[in-house]
Amino acid sequence: MKKSNAIEVKNLIKTYGDVYALNDVDLNISDGEYYVLLGPSGGGKTTLLRSIGGFIRPDSGSVVIKGKNVNNLPPDKRPTSMVFQGFALFPHMDVVQNIGYGLKIQSIEKNIIDEKVNKMMDLVGLTGLHNRKPHELSGGQQQRVQLARALILENDVLLLDEPLSALDAQLRKDMCIELKRLQKTVGISFVHVTHNQEEAMSVADRIAIIADGKMIEEGTPQEIYNKPKKQFTAEFLGEKNILIGKIHNLNKSKIVLHINNDKIEIANNNYNVSKNQEVRVSIKSESIQIKKNIKSKTNEKNSIVGKVSEITFLGQFVRYLVLLSNDQEIQVRSSQEVPNLKLNDQVILYWKLDDFILHSE
Amino acid sequence: MVIFFVLPLLLTVVWSVFERTMFWMEPAFTLFSYENFFFSSRLENFLSSMFHSSISVVCAFFIGFPIAIFIRRRVKKVAQHRVMLLFILPFMVSEIIRIFALRPILSRNGVVNSFLMDMNLIDSPFSIFVFTPTGVVIGEIVSFLPFMIFSTFLALEAIPNYIFEVCSDLGVNRRRMFKDIFLPLAAPGLFAGSVFIFVNGIGIALIPTILGGPGSVNAGLIATQAIIALDFPLAMAVSAIMMFTLMGLLYLGHRLFNLTKLLEPIS
Repeated sequence: MKKSNAIEVKNLIKTYGDVYALNDVDLNISDGEYYVLLGPSGGGKTTLLRSIGGFIRPDSGSVVIKGKNVNNLPPDKRPTSMVFQGFALFPHMDVVQNIGYGLKIQSIEKNIIDEKVNKMMDLVGLTGLHNRKPHELSGGQQQRVQLARALILENDVLLLDEPLSALDAQLRKDMCIELKRLQKTVGISFVHVTHNQEEAMSVADRIAIIADGKMIEEGTPQEIYNKPKKQFTAEFLGEKNILIGKIHNLNKSKIVLHINNDKIEIANNNYNVSKNQEVRVSIKSESIQIKKNIKSKTNEKNSIVGKVSEITFLGQFVRYLVLLSNDQEIQVRSSQEVPNLKLNDQVILYWKLDDFILHSE
Repeated sequence: MVIFFVLPLLLTVVWSVFERTMFWMEPAFTLFSYENFFFSSRLENFLSSMFHSSISVVCAFFIGFPIAIFIRRRVKKVAQHRVMLLFILPFMVSEIIRIFALRPILSRNGVVNSFLMDMNLIDSPFSIFVFTPTGVVIGEIVSFLPFMIFSTFLALEAIPNYIFEVCSDLGVNRRRMFKDIFLPLAAPGLFAGSVFIFVNGIGIALIPTILGGPGSVNAGLIATQAIIALDFPLAMAVSAIMMFTLMGLLYLGHRLFNLTKLLEPIS
C-alpha cells in the first residue's frame, strides 16, 4: 500500500530581488518518513524548510500538509514544529519551562504539562536535568531540549533546520543515531536540512539534493550516493572525479570512451547516448585502485596512467592526487598506503567496469 | 575607584559629624546635623522626593519600555541605532535650558494648556503642570526618559532573533510575549534605568528649582540650600543619608530579586 503524503509542495517559487531562492520546487514527503534536504549553503534548502513551516511566504506555489492547504496559515497554526539552527532556547527558563512553554501558552493544566514534560524528557534523554538553565547544559543537551519543546506539541511534522551544525563531529554522529531512533519512536515525518552529507546519509530515508533553488534529484541515500543521476550530485557528494570524453564505441553492455589519448571502458546502464557524443563520466575516489607502474605500458583494460602529484595522509585513508597525461587531476582515496610510492612516480589507476557513472547532461 | 568613589563617600560621612563654624567646619563628633535633618520638615521633603521619584520611574517604565520594544521589533535593524540617536539629540542642549523650556510649555497659558483649551477639552487651564510636584515629575520624565529607553533597548537588543521565531512557532501572543519574554529578558536594563532615574530624581536640584513650587524640595535641593547657608555638615549629612538610603534600597532589591542573577549576561 502506498503511504499517504504528509507534505506536498507544488511549484514553490520565492525570490529575493531578482535572485531565485526557490525556483519551481516540487516535493512529496510521506507519513513517517525521515526526509533530508541536502545541499550547499545558499542553495535554498532552508528557504524551502521555512516555507513549509510558515516563516517565509513564498511568491507562488502551494504547501499542503496532511491534505490541507496551509499557504495562508502562520507557523503556529500549521501542524508543524520547528527545531532551529543553533541553540534556540529561552535563556531565562530552565529545561522544564522551556519544554513546557508551548503547552503553557495553550492554557493547558499544569499537572498535565508536568506529566508530558517528564515523558518527553525521558524520551529525548534529559532525565534528571529538570532545573538546569540553558547555559548549564552542553550543546547536545540544548538540542535535546529544543527537540522536546517541538515534539511535545504532538504535531504531524517536525522541521529541523541544521539542528546539529553547532555540535562537534563526534557529538553530531551520536545525535544522528538519536534523531533516527527518535523519529522511529514518535513515528511522524521529520524534514531535516543539512549541508553535511554524512549527517544526511546516516539519518535519511530519502534525500533531496537542493541547489540554486532547485531540486536537483532525490532518492534513498544508497541511490544518491552510488548512482547519482546528475553530475552536480556526483560532484557534491564527496571527492568525485569527473572526466570528459568522447564515445568511441558502444554496445548494450559496454561503452568505450576516449579521454585524450587514453581509452577506458565503462558499463552501459541503458544510457541514452550515441557514438561520437561528448559525455561526462564520474568515479568515486575510493573506487579507484592505484599501483606503481613498473613497465611503461599496462595491459589492464580499465586503467589509465598518471604521475603522483600529491600524497596526503588522512588517518583512515591516504589521498593521492594523480596527474593524467591531459593535465587533469584525479583523486584517489586508498585505505592502504602503497609501499615506496613517492611524488612524481608513474602509477596505474584501475577500477571495476561499473564504477564509472555516465552523466548525460 | 578608591580615589574617585570610596574616598569622597568616606569624607562625606566623616564631615557630616563635624561641628559647624561660621564659614567652614571643625573636626568633632556631633549628630547635630542628623538631628537637624530628621526633626525638621527636611525629612518630610526627603521622603516626598523619594515618592515623586518613584512615580517618575513608574511613568518612565510605562512610556519608555514600550518605545524600546517598538524600536527593537518594528524598526528595521539598520535604522534602529539611528532612531536611538534621536533620543540623544535633546542632550545636545544644556539641561538648564531644556528644563527651563518646559515652563512656557506647561504654564497656565502655555502650549499644553492652550491646546487643551482650543480642543475644548477643558474649560479653564490646569495650573498643576508647573511649580508643583507634578511639574517636577513631568520634568524628571522628560529629562530621564531617554535613559530608560537606552538601557532597556540595549537589553532587548541582546535578545537573539530566534526567540521571536520560536514564539511565532509556538503561537505566543503579545501579552504573553511581554510578560514571559520581554520583561524577564530586559530586567537588567529596566533595573539600571530605574535606579538611574530614581537616583537623579532625588538628587538633581535643578528640576525642583526650576519646575517645582514651594512644596517640592528634593534631597539634592536640601543639600544645595544647606551649602548656600554655609552649613556644610548638614549638606554632608543629607548626602550621606541619600547614599545610605540608596544602598539600603539596592540591598533590599538584591534580597528580593537577587540582582546579581538579574545582571548576569544572557547566555
